[in-house]
Amino acid sequence: MTQGAAMATGQTPKAKIEVKNLNFYYGESKALKGNSLELLEHQVTAFIGPSGCGKSTLLRVLNRMYDLYPGQRAEGEVLLDGKNILDPAVDLNLLRSRVGMVFQKPTPFPMTIYDNIAFGIRLYENLPKSEMDGRVETALKGAALWNEVKDKLNASGQSLSGGQQQRLCIARTVAIKPDVILFDEPCSALDPISTSKIEELIDELRANYTIAIVTHNMQQAARVSQKTAFMYLGELVEFGDTDEIFTAPREKRTQDYITGRFG
Amino acid sequence: MNPIYASRRRSDLIVRGLCFGAAAFGLSWLAMILFSLFWNGLAGLSVTLFTEMTPPPGSTTGGLANAIVGSLMMTIVGVAIGTPLGLLAGTWLAEYGRYDRLATVIRFINDILLSAPSIIIGLFIYGFIVVPMGGFSGFAGALALAVIVIPVVVRTTENMLHLVPNTLREAASALGMPRSLVIRRIAFRAARAGIITGVLLATARVAGETAPLLFTSLSNQFWSLDITKPLANLPVTINNFVQSPYAYWKQLAWSGALLITLAVLSLNIAARVIGGERTRK
Amino acid sequence: MTDHTVKAYDVELQDLARRISEMGGIAESMLASSVKALVRGDNMLADDVIRTDSQLDVMEREVNEKAILMIARRQPMAVDLRVIASTIKMAADIERIGDLAKNIGKRVKAIGMPFHQQSLVNGVTHLGNMAQERLRMVLDAYASRNLDAALEVWRHDDDIDALHNSLFRELLTYMMEDPRNITFCTHLLFCAKNIERMGDHCTNIAETMHYMVTGSALTDVRPRAGAVPEADAVSGSEHD
Repeated sequence: MTQGAAMATGQTPKAKIEVKNLNFYYGESKALKGNSLELLEHQVTAFIGPSGCGKSTLLRVLNRMYDLYPGQRAEGEVLLDGKNILDPAVDLNLLRSRVGMVFQKPTPFPMTIYDNIAFGIRLYENLPKSEMDGRVETALKGAALWNEVKDKLNASGQSLSGGQQQRLCIARTVAIKPDVILFDEPCSALDPISTSKIEELIDELRANYTIAIVTHNMQQAARVSQKTAFMYLGELVEFGDTDEIFTAPREKRTQDYITGRFG
Repeated sequence: MNPIYASRRRSDLIVRGLCFGAAAFGLSWLAMILFSLFWNGLAGLSVTLFTEMTPPPGSTTGGLANAIVGSLMMTIVGVAIGTPLGLLAGTWLAEYGRYDRLATVIRFINDILLSAPSIIIGLFIYGFIVVPMGGFSGFAGALALAVIVIPVVVRTTENMLHLVPNTLREAASALGMPRSLVIRRIAFRAARAGIITGVLLATARVAGETAPLLFTSLSNQFWSLDITKPLANLPVTINNFVQSPYAYWKQLAWSGALLITLAVLSLNIAARVIGGERTRK
Repeated sequence: MTDHTVKAYDVELQDLARRISEMGGIAESMLASSVKALVRGDNMLADDVIRTDSQLDVMEREVNEKAILMIARRQPMAVDLRVIASTIKMAADIERIGDLAKNIGKRVKAIGMPFHQQSLVNGVTHLGNMAQERLRMVLDAYASRNLDAALEVWRHDDDIDALHNSLFRELLTYMMEDPRNITFCTHLLFCAKNIERMGDHCTNIAETMHYMVTGSALTDVRPRAGAVPEADAVSGSEHD
């Protein structure tokens, strides 16, 4: 009984990203072993598993963040709307403008709150000041931050609290209108209240974006996602409806992990 | 009391005392240097110091105007040449060449340059610039200073850029920002205070250099703004005047030394303040 | 109560409450219909009641699934945890009420034909009305989260017990008067027992509500007419 936004409107959600037989290497060591799965449109897909299971690695393949570092390479296919993003000819900057990412630690740029948002927009669009103001406001509202910062848009982004900084980063990502947003443990540095706010935000963002989230906190995966993938040692052990994974998983390893019986 | 504990307390007291003594000893010398500088230098501090030329032997009037201006010119030109080169090289080391083996080599050479005695740099410029150009010049002096500035700026730039968390670069790249923009608009901005501090410290370092100027700029008794000719400067003037038998020259040397010290001190304080702003969120 | 930061959580909690109210409404009408079918000897209506029970069973299962999912997905705490756990218990009580109504429906079909003496069923009608009133009150109390109203139901459980006891004696009298009444009156006895049990489930719901709202169980001894009601001594006590 997934209640995706698409389901609500009566359509079957379609696959936004298809991962097909993905292998990933850090130098010689193999970090992902033949993973295949689909990220459905307007759904939150959560990746859980013990440290080093490859969940973050998988996420970083989806926007090719790994390309920043030498010696890391991916094999297989990752189709975004049917086009393979692992193709060397893919324009990385364009790809990343479509697949946004929010990181574990809030990463506000060393500039004002306003510029933190406007900066990304300026990369792609030349807007007159008034229109830019509107876009910044929309983005901040979209990240449920507007009311808290509307009177201090010229303050440094780094003057905000951790939770606010993280929402600023989400606003920055949303501002450039991506199709997919990747969250890499977005709440691990935040207190429970800020965490709930981000979780609520993710649930709202689902209406307009396809979302993937990596989390160490499997309860969080249960709270925010419609699909959950359990990974272990680079393998995709189980992938299915979150409701099912957390009440009646098919795999013993999944059951052991989510019940805290992992050896 | 437990005898082991008692003996530990004793040795702790002794070591603490020794450390304190050593620190006090070192600082007392520094205090004495500053004190003697102010004691001797302040006496000669007057307006004429900044308005009149260096005097001929035996004269009891005159100032250091030409030396001050010459020093300023050479320091500014030297820093102006050295800073961009150092910035670019440091940026390459920290950003583009981070995973390059060549970077290790360059970093090693830079470290050698950083610790090279300045007189050798003076000799180098003498051999490569002064001799072929057929004479001492302020420009050659500025070049020598630039060679000293470069490794300092390379080092601080690289270190400061390394301090910028990688997550910030990733976050910028994740917005689809090209690499050059990530460096210019994000990394530099985050490291700005540190880099400025580095440049100020490099300036302070070269402001008092004597050795590289001895064989390059030499000195000049007279007022000159021509950088292609020998140019008067404070360090060499101090060096010359101190060795002279004339009391007034000695007095001028003290005052010149005080001026340099004050300049270096204020540059250091400025660097502190700017650097402090970075840590103060 | 203040809303949750995560709005979907509130939506789910409201959905649970709505389902309980819906189940309660169905159970209430089953109770009314079963008594009516008994009084009128209406087999069609009895069939209706029997059919509706499976609907209630499905709804209980759904409530349980939703509640379990919410525990898994929302990790409820404090009042939320109590609400969800209580919902599961209440759904079970309501489902039992449905079962008991179905049982009356089955008896109506076992009796087979309309009976002649209306006076025999007056007491059962009265008892049924009283139980229905209890159920309605406790459901209203739940819907409005009105603990006082729920406790009112809880305090007056002995009314039903008392009425059931007197009805027991009354039916015994009828049976002694005319042995031809024995079969019918025995059925009526069991129906009365069922209705009395429904009242007990209403009391349970009130108790659950007390725990849900306050976080502590009701420990007071409920006011009672006798130590063991006579009727229970006969029909076998399964009193909760």
